[in-house]
Amino acid sequence: MTFFRLDPELYARHKDEILTLSNSFQRIDRRGLSDREIAERLGLDERTVTEIRVIAERDCYALDEWQRAIDFKRKACSDWAAAALKRPDLREP
Amino acid sequence: MTDERAPAKGDLVGPATTSATARLKALALKSGATVVGVADAAAFDTHAPSKHRPADLLPGARTVVVVGGAQPRAGDWVATSPWLLSTMGTTERIQGVGRRIAQAIESELGYYALFVPPGTAAGDAPFLSLMLAAELAGLGTRSLAGPILNRDHGFMYWSAVVTTAPFDVDGPTTDAACPAPACRDMWEREHTTPCLRVCPLDAGGCLAGRLDDGHAVRTAYDAARCNTRVHTHWVGGFQKVLEETLNEPDRERRKMLVYGDFMTRTLWSITYSSTNIAQCFECMRACPAAHGLKEMR
Amino acid sequence: MATDGVVDAVKRVGLAAGARVVGVAAAAAFRAGVPEGFRPEDILPGARSVVVAGGDGPTAGAWRCPDHRVMEITGYDLRENVAIHAMCDYIERELGYYAVQAPSLPVHGHEPPMSMMHAAELAGLGTRSFAAHIILNPEYGLLYYAALITTLPLPADPPLAEPACPHPGCAAMYKRIGTTPCLRVCPACLSGTMKNARIETSTYDREKCHSRAQTYGIGSFQKALLAVVDEDDPARRRDMIHSDFFAKSVQSLGFFRDSIAQCFECMRVCPVGRKHRKLK
Repeated sequence: MTFFRLDPELYARHKDEILTLSNSFQRIDRRGLSDREIAERLGLDERTVTEIRVIAERDCYALDEWQRAIDFKRKACSDWAAAALKRPDLREP
Repeated sequence: MTDERAPAKGDLVGPATTSATARLKALALKSGATVVGVADAAAFDTHAPSKHRPADLLPGARTVVVVGGAQPRAGDWVATSPWLLSTMGTTERIQGVGRRIAQAIESELGYYALFVPPGTAAGDAPFLSLMLAAELAGLGTRSLAGPILNRDHGFMYWSAVVTTAPFDVDGPTTDAACPAPACRDMWEREHTTPCLRVCPLDAGGCLAGRLDDGHAVRTAYDAARCNTRVHTHWVGGFQKVLEETLNEPDRERRKMLVYGDFMTRTLWSITYSSTNIAQCFECMRACPAAHGLKEMR
Repeated sequence: MATDGVVDAVKRVGLAAGARVVGVAAAAAFRAGVPEGFRPEDILPGARSVVVAGGDGPTAGAWRCPDHRVMEITGYDLRENVAIHAMCDYIERELGYYAVQAPSLPVHGHEPPMSMMHAAELAGLGTRSFAAHIILNPEYGLLYYAALITTLPLPADPPLAEPACPHPGCAAMYKRIGTTPCLRVCPACLSGTMKNARIETSTYDREKCHSRAQTYGIGSFQKALLAVVDEDDPARRRDMIHSDFFAKSVQSLGFFRDSIAQCFECMRVCPVGRKHRKLK
């Protein structure tokens, strides 16, 4: 048995649909499907679905989104402190 | 030059030693150890290679206090999820007991004490074999599968403290948990045992051995293969996938490796290392002597 | 079925070990909303009960810090897990029933073997909120949850009849301006509507939230590593390897306890449980 490697073309073909069916984009009124359930729906084997989902979760947003996250938190936190602690000097310019 | 082992003023001698040993053991049990024993530091010399003996870690070492505990619960052994034992490990709980004992020896008795780090000195070599320490402290014996089994509690995790304190020593026990009666019967019938059957070397597993006149004899153990099972998602696995990634010329295939399930799970294990420290228990799951004696409902 | 005395004894052990709240759910209750393979009975054969412990997150002082980086690495003492271990030990040693800590670490991407959030809901410890569907305890707000699974049959606590979210203040805000504090502070991850002071719809982009809640972690390490590996220029590669981002990413792997959760902005503005954060 060799190390499991996913074919990039298979990944590209199914990643969006698998991510949509999973728990990545959640709605409060329904749950995402398990890998097994997705596999049954798409006619794939469960191992392949798991691999595609795991890669797609990481691939979903580019590294730029991490920089946006850093900037967002810095601003949101300082804005809150400025308002809640009545310290306008803390607000980011 | 003074003899580092020679008694100095205030040393424990006679009844004071016995009393101090008893108090330390009581502290260990109260702190959460299931069992506690003391090994003679010099006893390691005939078994452990140079640089991995108590006196190599702590010059002047006289004894090694060993605690065992934090073992998987009865429920852990019967759980059907493969993720339970491999992600919810409890070995860290016994490390804290070891540290506490080391501090108590120094603060209350005034002797040097060194908590043996559970990690490795280099590669896969530990600073001191905790399994050997458990044997020499009379807390268990080696099983056919390898782990030290305690007669009453089965498979346990160990922690050790090397010290210059001259505690009363417990000798190795001769009452071996392995082979269990059920295993002797199985050997008579089928010429194998539960652990050998679940992980046979000649079928891609790790173990080979036999029972000779009621004694377990391990004839082969593939440590490197066992490592891929006990530490499937660990430093070695990370290194392997990293190497594959660097050798992969295609960018998209590289992404499949770096973002893939194996790499992701391996990084989780490395990050949450304390609970992912051991990832294969199948020889112990099958072992009738590994789970302690208490029946559960 | 165990008596009330038994369940109280189990809960007392958990509370004494540091849990803020403890609740019980029936194992069978997980069947309705959980796919096969992720239910308590899939983990421990004969499972009858799930005991859930909620533990505190950051201190009130940490919430007031104007530097977001403090809460990124303030870490926790994970007392809810300690409480679970204490209760597991008690159940096995004193009561003689099987008990295991429910595995909750993700094992395939973001997927854990069992949902602690759902366990908390079923055990009556909280309800889902607009804010990332975080389970809010009506008294304490944000808590962290761990659970044990046991063959001990315990009387279950009912799920909460009244949802913790929306808070009356948020309902009033929504009526005025059509949004709530959490929805307003983080529209990138959250969206939702309210009707009759109840959550009508709510969506949550977990992958975007991951870049915020785990800015420096396994995911960022993978992202940065791939970028490094794909970079042909040695000088740029060197800069990437020695960057603050990569260093913090590796650091978060080593100091995992300090880096468990790294974004609190939706919870910072949430009024549920806030009374416990007003100190001297």
